[in-house]
Amino acid sequence: MIRLDRVRALLAKDLAETFSTAQIMGPLVVVPLMIIIGYPVGFLLALQSAPGAVDGLKDFIGSFPVSAIPAIPGLTSAGRAAYIGVVYLFAGFFLIVPTMVSTVIAANSFAGEKERRTLEGLLYTPLSDAELVIGKIAASFLPAVMFAWVCFAIYTGIVDVLGAPIVGELFFPTANWWALMVLLVPTVSLFMVATVVLVSTKARGFQEANAIGGSVVLPIIGVVAAQVSGIMVLSAEVIAVVSFAFAFLDAGLLWVIVRAFRRSRVVSYLP
Amino acid sequence: MTDGVANLDDRLAVEVRGLTRFFGAVPALAGVDLEIPRGAVFGLLGPNGAGKTTTVRILNGVLDATRVDTLRVLGHDLPEGASEIRPLVGVQTDTNLYDRLTARDNLSLFARFYGLDAAAAARRADGLLDMFGLLPRARERVERFSKGMKQKMLIARALVGSPQLVYPGEPTAGLDPEASHELMSYIRTVSRAEHTTFFLTSHRLDEMEDVCTKVAVLAGGVIRAQGSPAEVARAAVPRVRVRVTPAPGAVLTARMLLALPGATGMDAADGTFLVDVASLSAVPGFVRAAVALPVDLLGVAEEAPTLQEAYLALVGTPSDDAVEAAR
Repeated sequence: MIRLDRVRALLAKDLAETFSTAQIMGPLVVVPLMIIIGYPVGFLLALQSAPGAVDGLKDFIGSFPVSAIPAIPGLTSAGRAAYIGVVYLFAGFFLIVPTMVSTVIAANSFAGEKERRTLEGLLYTPLSDAELVIGKIAASFLPAVMFAWVCFAIYTGIVDVLGAPIVGELFFPTANWWALMVLLVPTVSLFMVATVVLVSTKARGFQEANAIGGSVVLPIIGVVAAQVSGIMVLSAEVIAVVSFAFAFLDAGLLWVIVRAFRRSRVVSYLP
Repeated sequence: MTDGVANLDDRLAVEVRGLTRFFGAVPALAGVDLEIPRGAVFGLLGPNGAGKTTTVRILNGVLDATRVDTLRVLGHDLPEGASEIRPLVGVQTDTNLYDRLTARDNLSLFARFYGLDAAAAARRADGLLDMFGLLPRARERVERFSKGMKQKMLIARALVGSPQLVYPGEPTAGLDPEASHELMSYIRTVSRAEHTTFFLTSHRLDEMEDVCTKVAVLAGGVIRAQGSPAEVARAAVPRVRVRVTPAPGAVLTARMLLALPGATGMDAADGTFLVDVASLSAVPGFVRAAVALPVDLLGVAEEAPTLQEAYLALVGTPSDDAVEAAR
């Protein structure tokens, strides 16, 4: 039986440690904020101040299917560029941000404990294997998703203030963004965390777990690149289907981790 | 279960027979047998790499034995009963604290794992911090603590669940003499008053001799000897000696002492004589003869072998036969 009070205690400890570690929090806050504030602000301000610059983006705009942009009365070329940029171009970043955050926190949480020689102390406590694994996964998953949602709120504010005047109406968040944030971000984050935790049981330290876990990001970057180039424009329906596929993968991965987790295996990989 | 077995379960905190553990082809433990009564202060002694940590890990169900005949802790068979014994056990190994958490948070976190609610966990943490003289620094992050303070914290953490069986590993490492003395007194008192069993691993043989009611020497993967410190010392060091100390100004010669019944050899140092006697049974006759000498003496007493002498005698004799037999 899983005792939630013990899981909560472990979760609270991990969160307190994560948020008090400048080496972890620094990059996690600075890089995503640069991406989700710096890029859209720069892009939208450029469109506002120099609409003629859109001429250089004609091929890029043309690569997106007509159905990807709603029929908004009086939509200018700059408005089309703003819409494509805001809705499609930057969407991929919102997959990369929680992926990066969850990978770093999960690697620090499990493999980092091995490296800092604190994990063995936990293994002797009455925490069950399931409580230990669930606590560790939750401690990485929750900050990643919360952070992505905070970024989403900031991004929405920027788009509504700077993008709506160019497009001609308040258009954001669109349906595919709601699907992205509510369905895909949590399921992909959980997938990343579970993968890193699985790797971490055998990794000897943070760097090793982070490097191996990070390689799982590559297919996600491929999806992001396809989205940016207009090859694949993800509608809300497609995102929902992909999210359910990830949810299915997550369930399988969690089942494997909880079943396969053995203290004796973890101990044999302690430094 | 028969009454006899039930009584044995009740009497023993740890019962191990034939414990064997290989790492690859290397035997870390090659047929270890241990019996530790409840309420005992037990010391597992051995050189680095002897298998002490491996033994503690197996006894706590965090490492599997390669082969074992009996492995029972607090009445529960391992590894099946690992989840039952963990709430009853506290382990202080060579691990680290959570440096970024405060002293109180470090302890109350572990108290929560032992089932205490937040308020009770904080009270338990404060009680232990007070006991180890760290309460005034309860709100400080432990990264600022000295090595000795961290050592106290690790011991406090092992006690946070009010365990029936405690594993202190090198408990006095980094502690000043006063703190070491206090800790050893605490262990002695709690084992007697609350019947708590302590399973210590340490290289400080003088402390182990002083505090332990039972010790075992582990070397080469096998237990070389176990029993009370005096029993182990006597068994491992067959040499029998009597220290004879003459009064200042008294004339006592080696020739006079070697002429006494039972004397077989002698060392002299710092104005005293250490006389080898043929056997323990010959000591009373030697003492009677020594005090009858026409010389003023300050003392004549058998010099019992120390645990340190026994340890050095035991770990210096690898038993390849035992290791081979375990394969």
